Amino acid sequence: MPLFALLRLSLRLLLREIRASELQVLLAALLIAVMTSSAIGYLNARLAAGMVYRAAEFLGADLVLSGTAPATQSQIDAGLELGLAHAQTLEFASVIGGANGLQLSSIKAVNEHYPLRGELRYREQPGSSEQIASQGPAPGEAWAEARLLHALGAKLGDQLEVGLLSLKVTRLLSYEPDRAGDFYSLSPRLMMNLADVKDSGLIQPGSRLRYRDLWRGQASQLQAYQREQQAYLAAHQQWLDTRQGNQQVGSALQRAERYLNLASLAALLLCGVAVALAAARFALRRYDEAALIRCLGLNRRDTLLLFCLQLTALGLLASTLGALLGWLLHNGLIAALGNLLPAELPQAGWQPALTAIATGLIALAGFSLPPLLALGRVPPLRVLRRDLQPLPPSAWLIYGSAIAALGLLMWRLSLDLTLTLSLLAGMLCLLVVLGVGVLLALKHLRRWLARVTLAWRLSLGQMLRQPVAAAGQILAFALILMAMGLVLLLRNELLSTWQAQLPKDAPNHFALNVLPDQAEAFSNAVTRLSGAAPTLYPVTPGRLIAINQVSVRDSVSKDEPGDNALQRDLSLTWSAQLPPGNRLVDGHWWDQLNPEAGELPGVSVESRLAKRLRLKLGDQLTFSIGGRTINTQISSLRELDWGSLQPNFYMIFAPGTLSEVPFTYLTSFHAPPDKLQDLLSLNRDFAAITLLPVEALLNQLRSILAQVTLAVELVLSLVLLAGITVLLAGLLSTLDERLQQGAILRTLGAPSRLLRQARWQEFALQGGLAGLLAAIGCELISVLLYQHLLNLPWTPHPELLLLVLLGALVISLSGSWLTRQVTAHSPLSVLRELS
Amino acid sequence: MSDSLLIARNLSKVVRTEEAELHILNNVSLTLARGDSLAIVGSSGSGKSTLLGLLAGLDLPSSGSVLMAGKNLTELNEDQRAELRAQMVGFVFQSFQLLPSLTAQENVMLPLELAGLGSKEAEQQAAHLLERVGLQARLRHYPRQLSGGEQQRVALARAFASTPAILFADEPTGNLDSQTGARIIDLLFSLNAEAGTTLVLVTHEQRLAERCNQHLHLEAGSQVAEV
Repeated sequence: MPLFALLRLSLRLLLREIRASELQVLLAALLIAVMTSSAIGYLNARLAAGMVYRAAEFLGADLVLSGTAPATQSQIDAGLELGLAHAQTLEFASVIGGANGLQLSSIKAVNEHYPLRGELRYREQPGSSEQIASQGPAPGEAWAEARLLHALGAKLGDQLEVGLLSLKVTRLLSYEPDRAGDFYSLSPRLMMNLADVKDSGLIQPGSRLRYRDLWRGQASQLQAYQREQQAYLAAHQQWLDTRQGNQQVGSALQRAERYLNLASLAALLLCGVAVALAAARFALRRYDEAALIRCLGLNRRDTLLLFCLQLTALGLLASTLGALLGWLLHNGLIAALGNLLPAELPQAGWQPALTAIATGLIALAGFSLPPLLALGRVPPLRVLRRDLQPLPPSAWLIYGSAIAALGLLMWRLSLDLTLTLSLLAGMLCLLVVLGVGVLLALKHLRRWLARVTLAWRLSLGQMLRQPVAAAGQILAFALILMAMGLVLLLRNELLSTWQAQLPKDAPNHFALNVLPDQAEAFSNAVTRLSGAAPTLYPVTPGRLIAINQVSVRDSVSKDEPGDNALQRDLSLTWSAQLPPGNRLVDGHWWDQLNPEAGELPGVSVESRLAKRLRLKLGDQLTFSIGGRTINTQISSLRELDWGSLQPNFYMIFAPGTLSEVPFTYLTSFHAPPDKLQDLLSLNRDFAAITLLPVEALLNQLRSILAQVTLAVELVLSLVLLAGITVLLAGLLSTLDERLQQGAILRTLGAPSRLLRQARWQEFALQGGLAGLLAAIGCELISVLLYQHLLNLPWTPHPELLLLVLLGALVISLSGSWLTRQVTAHSPLSVLRELS
Repeated sequence: MSDSLLIARNLSKVVRTEEAELHILNNVSLTLARGDSLAIVGSSGSGKSTLLGLLAGLDLPSSGSVLMAGKNLTELNEDQRAELRAQMVGFVFQSFQLLPSLTAQENVMLPLELAGLGSKEAEQQAAHLLERVGLQARLRHYPRQLSGGEQQRVALARAFASTPAILFADEPTGNLDSQTGARIIDLLFSLNAEAGTTLVLVTHEQRLAERCNQHLHLEAGSQVAEV
């Protein structure tokens, strides 16, 4: 038969048969799979854009090229040609003159385009409400932090001496977007116009300068720019993007993105199971049709093609409709998110919809191909002998195609081949082990069966008659519960991690330059203010100058910008105890060190820095601290929680190593919002101590996390919705058989109560077993996911055992509801309907 | 023999099981000319349906051959046999084999559409055939909404839809009461006479067999008598 005629016929038949329940289940399963996938895709894309937008505020741009000299004109022209918006800033330290004398200040000179993301905030008067500015000071003007004016004894409207220039202070600078993450800028800020810098005469050869070229634009433009310029980057230049802009936001974003992808995968897995179940039922119900059509003269190839075309048409219809519904759903969700999202959230375009459609078709192909292929093998003789079944497709084909489809989808979502493969292999092993376990358990039930009541014999008999099918069904339910459980588990873990990262009383102030003789008085004052005694960390600035006796200048090649840690003073500390939030990953802490292990004093190095600098245990590090050279040996490597707002240190020395070096203390504390007066008096009483408020950063972080949390919650509900649909599809796939058995039993005089009881027991047992398997699977897979995907420490989750109860309850409730027809209609009508 | 439409020569069917070989059919031979009608009779398990399957090319014999319109079915592959069936063969089954998700009219349209007819034309022809079997009021009814007799009449209309040269009927009244069965048989023979179709009928009803001009009696797979 010509292909076009076959296509027409298959569509006509499909239209006529659309009323058939198995087609409707298949349609619904696909529709929900694609709808969920597309809604998550859209939501993901837009929330990610929203989150990146928020994160971009920390940079004041989408992308920054940072260096000790400005970007070259050709670098700037290249960006402008790509349609990117550009701004420039320059930061350096200088002494400012005022009425009271001089004060070291951190100066930031900005051009008229700064900031590209986020906003500047200022106050007209001390204590007045914050105003928003879209650009920085005009030439001839300066904006200053209140503490700078306080130190200089100046006020708004005064002139300040900035190098050779005299600038008028026009505003009190209260917030600059890209300052928030910069905890350790000690000096108070003065902001001026970049055009004034040259006349100020402050830039001299040898000045320590930090130029930043800020860029804003579409992700594709930014990527293109970054790719294009990579080759022309000078040794002093490096990129900063939204992920590196702020450690706390970066890690939250990364985890959220991985979670959303994982949830999307769970939804897909669920829908894959639904598609497989529905497609198997689709094929099973078409054996007679296939035999008849072959009997009427259609050849094997065309018969197979006929059903394939039907399924493709169905897939395209469901996928397109699903993508559209997903788009609508995500719009509804975005509307529900309201003001949590930035106002100018870019539309996500066609990509999520197309990806979701492709996903639906891949799932359909992978999961429905094996049962469909059986249709091409239905012998035409089946019209005379209904017991003739087509040769089942080989197990390799069944599992191979499903695994290939699943692998493809997983790879697309997580983009990590090792993780995808190990997850897939892990799940496969789990399925095999658990499947064999269930099969053995079912077989053992047989012995027990003789001694139980009729209701149990009826319910278990159904499972024991076809133990492989029953085990398959239980595994399918287990897979569904496992996917739902895993998504729920990870959601709770993520939320509690974020909440722990930002508790209500998270430190909102850092205190720097606390002199040792003031430490006790200051500590007491802070205790009165915040209600908790602060931990004081001794700090001294120092520079790493040699690694294993090789100068770091020589160890950094000309082509590499080198590590930041090698280019600036590090805040060095010492401590007898391992500080909270630190975890040893190699070596020993001081108290467990062999005293004769090394002659040099020990130093504990942060593990990521060690990796970047290729440092290992036993390496010798030489520091220049307060004019002295100190040799140390690495005795341990530590992992830090960079997401926390606690002071973190790259280098911790053994107590006593730096005893002769001058030092100050550093601490962080929480000042309740109603204690503003106390805070002001603390500032007054300890004038030499620098108090750095980080409330703005906290609020920014909280807002991002609230947004991410909401996204996670929404995605979770979508996954749960998908799970419930699949559960129903799974139950529907065995509905005919159950209805038939029920009708026969009723014909034989079985009371409705007995049938109801038998059904309840069967479903509860299936659900309970599935729940148990799901709990085991969930726990095992979570080990892998926690450690490799989400970078969270793993602990056992006994609460997962609730899945047993939940499985029994959900499956018996929905199963009993679906099969209510058995007792609600006359047995004759049920049997007629089925025949 | 040039007028012979269906020839079977020494047909045997052997099925191998784990324990032994089962001889389902032994050396059956027959010849049918255009317009002939053959009744294959015998008790349950005598091999009637197996013979019908072999004659229609739904299955292949272990030995022997079947020639349909001069073509040796045993030398054709499954797809070639399917093509021949599409051109020449119609079926009526004991269990009607109507597709439950299609209406009466759509069921009858199926072979017409498989033969490449447009849906409008197929619709008209199906309506006409259903009218011919007295179901003009039931065009849009689904099989489950029809009685057994009505379902078999739809199956008859479907069988004659493609104007087959040979009609194979497997116990067409097996699922019907005697009164309805008799009406179906009358209809079958009158349609057969109108179309000049060669009929191969499997039945265990003597009354029905007597209406055919040839009889083949099977017992335990062997031909006992041919009239």
